[in-house]
Amino acid sequence: MGCRNRDSFTEDHTCSSSSLSDALLLTTMCIVGLPVDVHVKDGSVYSGIFHTASVHADYGIVLKKARMTKKGKGNTNVGNEGLVDTLVILSGDLVQVVAKGVMLPADGVGGNITGDDEEAVAHSVCSESKTCEVENHTGPLMDAKQINQSSFDSPQDEKIQSLNSSHEADTCLGQEVAVEHESTDSTSSPFDNGLFCNNAPASVKTDDRCSERSTSAESVSTNSTHGVDLISESQPARSAEISAPRVTDSSRNAKEFKLNPAAKTFSPSFTNPMSATSAANMVYIPNSSPVVPVASIQPEVGFNTFASRPSVPVKVAQYNNLTVGNGGSGSQFSQPIVGHVAHRTQPLRYATHYTPVLSETAYLPPSSPAVMVGRSPQLVYVQPVSHDLIHGATAVAPVSARPLLNHVQFPKQQGGTIGPAMPVCVPPPVLTSGHQPFALQSHIPLLQPGFPVTRPISVPGPNGFYGTKF
Amino acid sequence: MATEGANNINPDDLAVGCMLSIRTTLGDEFEGHVVTFDRPSNILVLQEPSKPGPRRNIRLLKANYIKDFTFLGHAQDPLDPNTCFLDLTALQAREHVAVRQAEADAERIGVGVTSEAQSIFDALSKTLPVRWDKTVIVVMNEVRVSSPYHPESVFGGTPAANDRVKKVVIIFLLLCYDASKCLYLWHVKYHIDCYSSMCTRVACA
Repeated sequence: MGCRNRDSFTEDHTCSSSSLSDALLLTTMCIVGLPVDVHVKDGSVYSGIFHTASVHADYGIVLKKARMTKKGKGNTNVGNEGLVDTLVILSGDLVQVVAKGVMLPADGVGGNITGDDEEAVAHSVCSESKTCEVENHTGPLMDAKQINQSSFDSPQDEKIQSLNSSHEADTCLGQEVAVEHESTDSTSSPFDNGLFCNNAPASVKTDDRCSERSTSAESVSTNSTHGVDLISESQPARSAEISAPRVTDSSRNAKEFKLNPAAKTFSPSFTNPMSATSAANMVYIPNSSPVVPVASIQPEVGFNTFASRPSVPVKVAQYNNLTVGNGGSGSQFSQPIVGHVAHRTQPLRYATHYTPVLSETAYLPPSSPAVMVGRSPQLVYVQPVSHDLIHGATAVAPVSARPLLNHVQFPKQQGGTIGPAMPVCVPPPVLTSGHQPFALQSHIPLLQPGFPVTRPISVPGPNGFYGTKF
Repeated sequence: MATEGANNINPDDLAVGCMLSIRTTLGDEFEGHVVTFDRPSNILVLQEPSKPGPRRNIRLLKANYIKDFTFLGHAQDPLDPNTCFLDLTALQAREHVAVRQAEADAERIGVGVTSEAQSIFDALSKTLPVRWDKTVIVVMNEVRVSSPYHPESVFGGTPAANDRVKKVVIIFLLLCYDASKCLYLWHVKYHIDCYSSMCTRVACA
């Protein structure tokens, strides 16, 4: 039954007995990039990422990042000492390939062509579709260029290994490429690879790919003595890959700070020059907003930026300019928010920008003295509260009992602070609006939920500044 | 039902859709659903019956390594030609991600180190950036933990970072060593003392 269903598949057997059947080709494609276990004839098992296979008569395969997981009887040239960057397993050595968790196309893998298209390609071979097909099934299958690339770019840590002698497989690869290249030019090629027809852009590169592949396959067959010309084109990508994992100094500093805030940047006196990293952990008081007593939170954003000033009437509401400036990230609280929010029971929360710092009592003594925080023209008086409280205090939650967090989040200082010096003090009883005092005292367990949750907070009373948006 | 020698297998018996129980010459035994048999390469593609869901195990087996097989039944063709299509870009992306992941995993494995060292590395890596420098664990690019990976083997870095690494190492040792074993009692006691003194110092600070 199944064989009858595959009449189109079996046509290529009559045309080209040397190529794999389409079903095998399809299955091979489905396991590209998946971890596989390869059993070889001596009983060894190699695990690696299935990279490609020879689609010629011999079914040799190539694994990436392979390692021996089971030692066989025979002595192989591939030890179990570590990871092999590229492992070529010849057809003669191959016993079976086991891929786990494969989703066959019939099970719903998305693709680029529909069944009708595939059928049309399968039955009417035109030069255009043929170009497409060859490109598509040769590209990911035998990307020998990558093998070559990896062998030349960093030979000290990457190597191609082939079980026993790889020369046979290399020859096979070279032949395969030649055949494929021929099929690219010939419209009457017996290849019937309609299954793998892709969309148009793939066919654009066909000639280049084939020529590259032929060159690289040749270099593979000569076992890494040719192909120097490929280095130039492969080098940038390689170097990019190498450089990618490296961290810049700033990011490393940030990471170090995250891990060890006191060691690097914490300083009780902010008159010291501050790095960008340290600046990100300071309280920022926008000097352009003298009065912002009323707190509100935007449900869409979930946070806001205010400065508080106790001497201002409670009901005067004003956004400071920083709100706009930080609106993109929307995570900045510059000051504790106080105002006409007495009945609110939900704390305002910071969102994402604060670097969580592991609690280290050595760096963050709970009984730390009052700290003057400021940048040259400004001063912010921070109450003698723990840093955790600093973070929590901005929430201006009603005094409630919540467990202390294990991490401390510092308000971030952003932007320039240009303007007149404006010392801003936040004494413990800040502004209250009647019933509930919002205290910022260190001994009060202003506590936070276990994880930051941005909660929309209702703003009592109409406020013309917010309009319909809020 | 059908049991044949490896050299006498009739490819027609390996029909698509058959459920077979196969034993290989290497001793493996499994059941599979024949997806295809490719004569040129002599490869039998099997899909293993597995748990519900679209993902299954696929075996590509060289037919000449089949010692014997048993016909279990017949089912539908696993591949529907009308729905066979692939997203090559996704395949390439998948491979790229897999290779990257394998590289990252490989970097986490110390070469020539004990399992205890690897465990300490793993413990440190949960909260701190670590890497191997041969057999030395480098934490935050500044603190080095060398063999025998005890607190006294922690060198370098700022005092705070050094203390932090020491603390992780101590906690790891405390958690991993079985205090009931007399052999390690002295060891545990030593580390408890270290940890207590450290806590005292921290509290004083």
